[in-house]
Amino acid sequence: MREQRLVDLRRRLIPYFLLGPGILWLILFFVVPMYFMARLSLDTGIFPEFRFNWQFSNYSDALSAYDTQFFRAFQYSAAATVIGLLIAYPLAYAIAFRGGRWKNAMLLAVIAPFFTTYLIRTLAWETILSDNGFVVHTLQTLGLVSENGRVLATSGAVIAGLTYNFLPFMILPIYASLERLDTSLVEAAKDLYASSRQAFLRVTLPLSMPGVVAGTLLTFIPATGDYVNAQFLGGAQQAMIGNVIQSLYLKQTDYPSAAALSFTLMAVMLLIVFIYIRIAGSEALMGEEIGGADVIE
Amino acid sequence: MTSKRRFRALIAAGGALAAAITLAACGGGGIEGGGGNEAVQTVKYQPPPHGNLTISNWPLYIDKNTVSDFDKATGIHTNYIEDVNDNQEFFAKMQPLLSKGQSGGRSMIVVTDWMAQKMHELGYVQNLDKSGIPNVEANLRDNLQHPAFDPHRDYAIPWQSGMTGLIVNTKLAPNVHSINDLFDPQYKGKVEMLTELRDTVPLVMKADGIDPETATQQDWLNTIDKLKAAVASGQIRRFTGNDYTRDMANGDVSAIIGWSGDAVQLQADNPDIEFRMPTEGCILWSDNMEIPVGAPNPSAAEAFMNYVYDPKNQAQIASYNSYVTPVDGVKQVFQTTNPDLVNDPLIFPTDQFTSKCSTQPNLTGQEEQTVTRAFEGVLNS
Repeated sequence: MREQRLVDLRRRLIPYFLLGPGILWLILFFVVPMYFMARLSLDTGIFPEFRFNWQFSNYSDALSAYDTQFFRAFQYSAAATVIGLLIAYPLAYAIAFRGGRWKNAMLLAVIAPFFTTYLIRTLAWETILSDNGFVVHTLQTLGLVSENGRVLATSGAVIAGLTYNFLPFMILPIYASLERLDTSLVEAAKDLYASSRQAFLRVTLPLSMPGVVAGTLLTFIPATGDYVNAQFLGGAQQAMIGNVIQSLYLKQTDYPSAAALSFTLMAVMLLIVFIYIRIAGSEALMGEEIGGADVIE
Repeated sequence: MTSKRRFRALIAAGGALAAAITLAACGGGGIEGGGGNEAVQTVKYQPPPHGNLTISNWPLYIDKNTVSDFDKATGIHTNYIEDVNDNQEFFAKMQPLLSKGQSGGRSMIVVTDWMAQKMHELGYVQNLDKSGIPNVEANLRDNLQHPAFDPHRDYAIPWQSGMTGLIVNTKLAPNVHSINDLFDPQYKGKVEMLTELRDTVPLVMKADGIDPETATQQDWLNTIDKLKAAVASGQIRRFTGNDYTRDMANGDVSAIIGWSGDAVQLQADNPDIEFRMPTEGCILWSDNMEIPVGAPNPSAAEAFMNYVYDPKNQAQIASYNSYVTPVDGVKQVFQTTNPDLVNDPLIFPTDQFTSKCSTQPNLTGQEEQTVTRAFEGVLNS
């Protein structure tokens, strides 16, 4: 009887035990820094003498001073997410259903750029898109860029950079959800006289939604906070909110404004993600058992 | 929604939140003020220097042999790191340590005049023991001996000096001679300036006839407004640090504000690129060797300062980086080793060559904060 109780106790405690390292990590590297950042965002004074003062106006001041860069960041990352989706979906589809024995090689090609660091790849684009490079010359010949026009140091270059850098994060989740899709369902749809288009829209696409939602989030969230692409591919007029936060922290040593802006960014992103998940459906994100009827409610 | 599903949705939202926060929080931490210790410490030189020495300097500022030659000559083991890319960024990185009297293992750091002064005022650097650096006493160039911020060279010893002026691609912009020419619409989108507040703004001021050394805060803000308009019209492509070298080498820009030594290194690849003294003069600066508070083995750091102030050793550095050498006697060494460099105006500028130049003006406190904020606002328009 007593032994049974001990076994029960152990069984109940084991999950917490397993959670331990994760929780500790979260507290140490997430909760604690968050606390200090929150405090810092309410400080007043100029460097190096900051005082805690419940200075909520830091938030409104920072936001009204940098609203342009704030909205620009969301515009750029939204554009990069949409373009990324338009490129990634057909590609993932092709790899999953038409890849054949080349499937693994194609996936490797998607991941291959990751073997070089993010920074180096972005710097490479700086050279590729150079005013005297073949890309710009080609675009000029095609009339897509004016004779004196350029690509580098424009918003187009920054969005292209963001799209490129986060594309694999879009492709892989979509591929994963298409890959495990039960093709007999598509066959069944056709047997029931659905056209290819109908079968895609009513079977394949809904079943791949978990991948689409995951992919768009994995692209949108990091792209919004990014500052590397704007710094190297953009000009003076393409600064995103990440560039501003970096400048506030490292150049202006205005830690309270930087912290306030970081928190605002976090809150807005959270709100957008929350609304998105409500609309797109949390089931899609969590990927209910594929093939279950409850996916297409 | 069943409760199980709701729970899952919650976890999903939580995961997204965590990702968002990690991103936004990157670089966060508990950095609270705490002014420096105003009482300045002084190094005690203890011969003979030995042991380990860690130096933080700017990239591409030293040749391949000096460090190992120094180690061989002294028996000191030197760890030379190039982790200073920007005065303000380096300061932001070091400040939490320095305010606690620590240097992160560094025995010597190299920063520009105004930052050297700022760090000294905060009590972050030590005064030097002159008995350890006789070569500095003997060989420091006359015109560098008594700068306003450190009249007796008590704590800051020049590593190299330099000039901020025009770097021009003579094929693309043959007629750029003045800073004002950078505002000429024919070079629209082909012009870049430095992200360093104390280089870019004073030069543009000089072009407008304002003396940066006596400029008021309003003068600074007016000049920054002029830059802002030039950004809005697309005249200025972007603001850069050393990375203007890529844009210059790629031919993406025709004329920029840049540093003298870089022009020489660019010229090696493209003979069309040259440094031009602006008609209104240049900005003169020095990067200084300093011993931070809490520096381990300061005697070894002094030994290094002393070593690079031997003209023979200095010649090796100067011939590599082409900046203005602060050490007398290098010219004599070059007469036998590098006769082609003896008359190089970038390494040995004559008084006439730099007659219209100004030193970097000092900004402090609220004024520094206001002006920096306005300038950074233009960089990130």
